[in-house]
Amino acid sequence: MSELFFQQIVNWITLGSIYALIAVGFSLLFGVLNIIHFSHGDVSLLAPFFGLAVISALGSVLGDAGTITTFLLALVVSIAVTGAVGVLLDLVVIQRFRKAPAMMALVATVALGIVLRELIRHLFPNGSNPHAFPRLVDGDIAIAGYSVPLFSLTVVAVSALSVCALFFMLNNTRLGLHIKAVSQDRDAARLMAIHPGRIFRATFFVASAIGAVGGLFFSSYAGMARFDFSIDVGLIGFSAAVVGGLGSMPGAIIGSLLIAGLDTLVQATVPNGASYRLVFVFLLVIGVLVFRPSGLLGRTLVEKV
Amino acid sequence: MAHASSSSTSGNPVSGMLTVIAVQAAGALYLRQFLLIDDWRFVLGLLVLFAAVLVFLERVPSVETRIEAAFARHSRLALLMGIALVLGFPFVLEGNTYALHLCVISMLYAVLALALNFQLGSANIPNFATGASYGIGAYASALLALNFGVSFWLALPAAAVVATVFGFLLGIPSMRTRDSYLALVTIAFGVVVHQLLNNLEFTGGPNGLVGIPVPELFGHAFSDPLVILGHTLPPQANFYYLSALLVFISIVFAERLHDSRVGLAWNALRADELAARCQGINVTWYKVLAFAVDAFLAGFAGTIYAFYVGFISPDNFTFLVSVTIMTMVIAGGMDNILGVIVGAFLLTMLPEKLRAFSDYRILFFGITVILFLMIRPQGLFPQRLRRYGD
Repeated sequence: MSELFFQQIVNWITLGSIYALIAVGFSLLFGVLNIIHFSHGDVSLLAPFFGLAVISALGSVLGDAGTITTFLLALVVSIAVTGAVGVLLDLVVIQRFRKAPAMMALVATVALGIVLRELIRHLFPNGSNPHAFPRLVDGDIAIAGYSVPLFSLTVVAVSALSVCALFFMLNNTRLGLHIKAVSQDRDAARLMAIHPGRIFRATFFVASAIGAVGGLFFSSYAGMARFDFSIDVGLIGFSAAVVGGLGSMPGAIIGSLLIAGLDTLVQATVPNGASYRLVFVFLLVIGVLVFRPSGLLGRTLVEKV
Repeated sequence: MAHASSSSTSGNPVSGMLTVIAVQAAGALYLRQFLLIDDWRFVLGLLVLFAAVLVFLERVPSVETRIEAAFARHSRLALLMGIALVLGFPFVLEGNTYALHLCVISMLYAVLALALNFQLGSANIPNFATGASYGIGAYASALLALNFGVSFWLALPAAAVVATVFGFLLGIPSMRTRDSYLALVTIAFGVVVHQLLNNLEFTGGPNGLVGIPVPELFGHAFSDPLVILGHTLPPQANFYYLSALLVFISIVFAERLHDSRVGLAWNALRADELAARCQGINVTWYKVLAFAVDAFLAGFAGTIYAFYVGFISPDNFTFLVSVTIMTMVIAGGMDNILGVIVGAFLLTMLPEKLRAFSDYRILFFGITVILFLMIRPQGLFPQRLRRYGD
């Protein structure tokens, strides 16, 4: 196995893990709410901007912006705040579309994504320009004769941990069971004294916070935070969830790895592939949807009269 | 609605005719003032006036039914008056080329909004690719003109056919996908088209296509000022009349379709796809047809845009353009032809008029969509009940 090939594999897994963190949120929200929260990608990519804001605010208060403590604090705060933004969006906008046709919620959340992006552009200082974003972990480690960036290892480890924690939460905790109950039958859950609104907000928090981790990793991977990253990343995350089958968590992960694989392959083999990558990714999406309309692992819906 | 019309206007045809003339003249005057005013405070004032009229019509439905009845009764007069107003409008703009330019762009967007209305309004199919069809039309005609010297009048139908073929292609995945999945397919299609235009060699890449020739008609170049009855109009007037003709054709097209079995089938799809299928409606065919019709009209608009501006680049046809068109349909009123056109004019002109806030126009579109969907999902002009028997 050549060094270059190995590097591509590392890239693939890294990118796939980042996409999975965002795709899982799409799938989770769809499973519970039964609507597409199209602005989930935009919410996730708010996190790097919150992170930068916290770092600069702490820097002006404490005087030192470079320490590990401020950095970790900034990460934690930005993840929590992004989760809160998800809840806020539900409270202000999305909850009004619970009973509306699915298409209305879809259009509304597309618009919501645009609004979030524009708000970053106008409200963040110098928001139209890219902002340098630090690499979370530096250095390489040697594994079986190949050097692997510690950053990639961190991304994969944290993503795997987050997804495992999410699975554990969904399957083994009270909140997780409530979420599952609401997603299966909202009215029956209400009869079991579960407050669906509260569960929706909890789901929004969890999904947005996990997305925030993905957003932070993505900005760190790219080395910068840009207000318009969320268009591509949001679309890719959503595509990954759709390819895997909306509502299915393992599907979202498989979809992410598939799309990241194609992405890496195109960039490595096709000349000038970086500018064509979305063409290939979306052709894959369209292809999968034509042959398996509810995704690879999605449940086929049979409508009864 | 039908019996209301007979009872309120059967006695006084003259007042009905006066109503029609007054409403149309007021509309034209309003548009003229809106176009010629520069100060944004006056623009806001006019907007408040517009809102007040709408609220008044909502609160006092008898006035609305009167106006509607008058228009239904004197439809021929309304049509003639409307044509006269549209033809005469450039003469009252005091030679203001910018106002005329805004009219042309608004009318092109009106065509695009009408095109999307077949899907979003009539059949409730979320299509985020109208901007892409618009771009395909523009690029197809521009490439034909630049590489093969095809004249504008031939490029126009050719580009519409090309766009329709792509519309059919886009419609194919819609046979098997629905709702959110279908929306993703259309978004993906838009992104693929944009990236291809941006990267392919023969479309000029990010620089686009330059030097698209000016159309000619009977030896009159569209870049020359238009002289009518000794009155000289700026060159934009040529395209004004051309796009007005296109809007007119689109309206006729839209109304005929709305009243035909196709329009009924689309409405049935919107109400309940499964029930429509059970009624023997070929759901797949009508869905694909909606895509094709949308692309067909968008292709026309794209061609006129390309030859009007003379320069196109991929950035004229992004996902945001599709969202803008969608905003027009939603804000104006889905499945209401008048509403969609008003939405297109309002949302094209408003950001231009409120120049002070032009940096915030995309934000403004986003917030407009969300507010309309939350507060008034039926739009400014709600969809009408179908009228039968008159």
